Amino acid sequence: MNSSIFENSKDVFLDTVHAKDYIQLDRVSTIYQSLKNSIKKPLKMVLLYGKPGTGKSMFLTKLYHDLSSTQDVYIYKTPILDESEFFKTLAQDIFSVNYKGELNFTQFMKIADSSDLNSVPVILLDEAQLYANELMEKIRLLSDTRSVKFVITLHKTEKEDLIAKEHFQTRIWESIELENASSAELKIYIQKKLMKANCFDSANMFNNKSVNLIHKLTNGNYRDTNKLLYTLFDLYIAYQDNQMLSNLNTNQVSNKLIEMSAIHTGLIHA
Amino acid sequence: MLNINELEQRWLKYKIKSYIPHAVIAISTIAIIIVASLFLNKEDSKSLQTSTPIKTSPKKPVRSTQEIEIKKIRTPKIKQSNKGVITQRKLQVKKVYSSPATDNSKKKMTIAPSLDFMKKMQGNTLSNYERNTETYTPPQNLQSRPKQTPKIENEPVKKAPVKVLKKSKIVVKKSEISIKRQNTHDDITQVIARFNKNNNPALSLFIAKKYYELGDYHKSYNYALITNEINSEIEASWIVFAKSLVKLNEKDLAIKTLKKYVSQSNSNRANILLDEILSGKFK
Repeated sequence: MNSSIFENSKDVFLDTVHAKDYIQLDRVSTIYQSLKNSIKKPLKMVLLYGKPGTGKSMFLTKLYHDLSSTQDVYIYKTPILDESEFFKTLAQDIFSVNYKGELNFTQFMKIADSSDLNSVPVILLDEAQLYANELMEKIRLLSDTRSVKFVITLHKTEKEDLIAKEHFQTRIWESIELENASSAELKIYIQKKLMKANCFDSANMFNNKSVNLIHKLTNGNYRDTNKLLYTLFDLYIAYQDNQMLSNLNTNQVSNKLIEMSAIHTGLIHA
Repeated sequence: MLNINELEQRWLKYKIKSYIPHAVIAISTIAIIIVASLFLNKEDSKSLQTSTPIKTSPKKPVRSTQEIEIKKIRTPKIKQSNKGVITQRKLQVKKVYSSPATDNSKKKMTIAPSLDFMKKMQGNTLSNYERNTETYTPPQNLQSRPKQTPKIENEPVKKAPVKVLKKSKIVVKKSEISIKRQNTHDDITQVIARFNKNNNPALSLFIAKKYYELGDYHKSYNYALITNEINSEIEASWIVFAKSLVKLNEKDLAIKTLKKYVSQSNSNRANILLDEILSGKFK
């Protein structure tokens, strides 16, 4: 096999969040469609939650990508932790008001009230669990005014569940949970991802057995899968460079290399 | 660039680690299976040891063998009147042991160590003695006995009964060989222990016989006496008792005892022994 195939395959699994890398799976596309429908409704807040690596950021990015052409959508992938900075950024992005000095919640509300926007802008906040409780409280109040619509993503841990309960439980009109992929979904995810990059040979190397092993190691987590497969193809390149590829069966992914990748990425503690 | 060699080594360690629990489970299950099979085999052999005597010595064949024994003992008595009957009997029994050096001897080896088997054996002998005494006590039986023996003597002329007799002989060999194999002091002590528990006259008679065979006439006298005290109708016990007395230089007492017993039971064997002692053939 040509080493460029492995190189290309390796690059496919670089952990980046681009809307073009979004892989449409049956279950995921259903969820995505329901999310899109929720945004069209006059809901104050939509919560997207799930374990790390289940594709929340990708969902948000994809949503931004799809809605930006038709709607006022603003995405904040990294949290703005300072309150004044947060409202100033929103005022500038949504209402094009460049406020000098400290901007508090009351002042921001005045700006929002005085604005004459045709539609309600949608603000997508990733990693919302990093926001301070006070700021989260103000985001909640802001959503109550219906001047801004929020779609926030949260990590589903015990702590973040508490945040979700305390701050949003009564105001969340739609909550969508994202889960890890099943073995079958993971196979489609890997193969679609590879085929999207024209790596058909690599895509054919993944049979049910090898995907089951990957699923067992990553538990269907997309981020872990990306990490594992990136290392896997890196290993293939290393084997090829050391002229050891003849020892391996290239018709299918070697379980040994999968396990070696898992050891290298820390999925297996050896 | 990834360090393949280091990763392979780590992978190898991981594989070995991951196989350890499987190996432990496999080894432990194999060990459990082996232990269980050994245990079951032991139990099977035990049950075989206990069950085989029951199967090999059913009551009916034993009866026929007794008759054969009696026949064998009596025929030399008639033909060779001067020779000791009991010693001949022993010789005959010994012949029976030595002759079947075929597959039966192998089977005997496995059956022999069981004490349960001994019990069964002795149980059989006891019943024999009881039957003998039953037949001997009423004088009518004495008349019927000689009538029976000629019948048996005539039967071997016919072909079919001969076969039956041969088969029954094998049964006798099996049972009696086990007695021979337990001719050790250890076995006797075990039987004594059992006798002390259940006071079975068959056991005490067995002990008396064994001591007599081993030449410990004092003990054989004692156990024969104990047997007589428990059950005074066992012919063999009286014979061992009298023979032990003779061996202990108490010939007069032996004669006196035998005469009394003969007068009471009309025992042929006792009578023969009495004749032999009186004639000096049995010393």
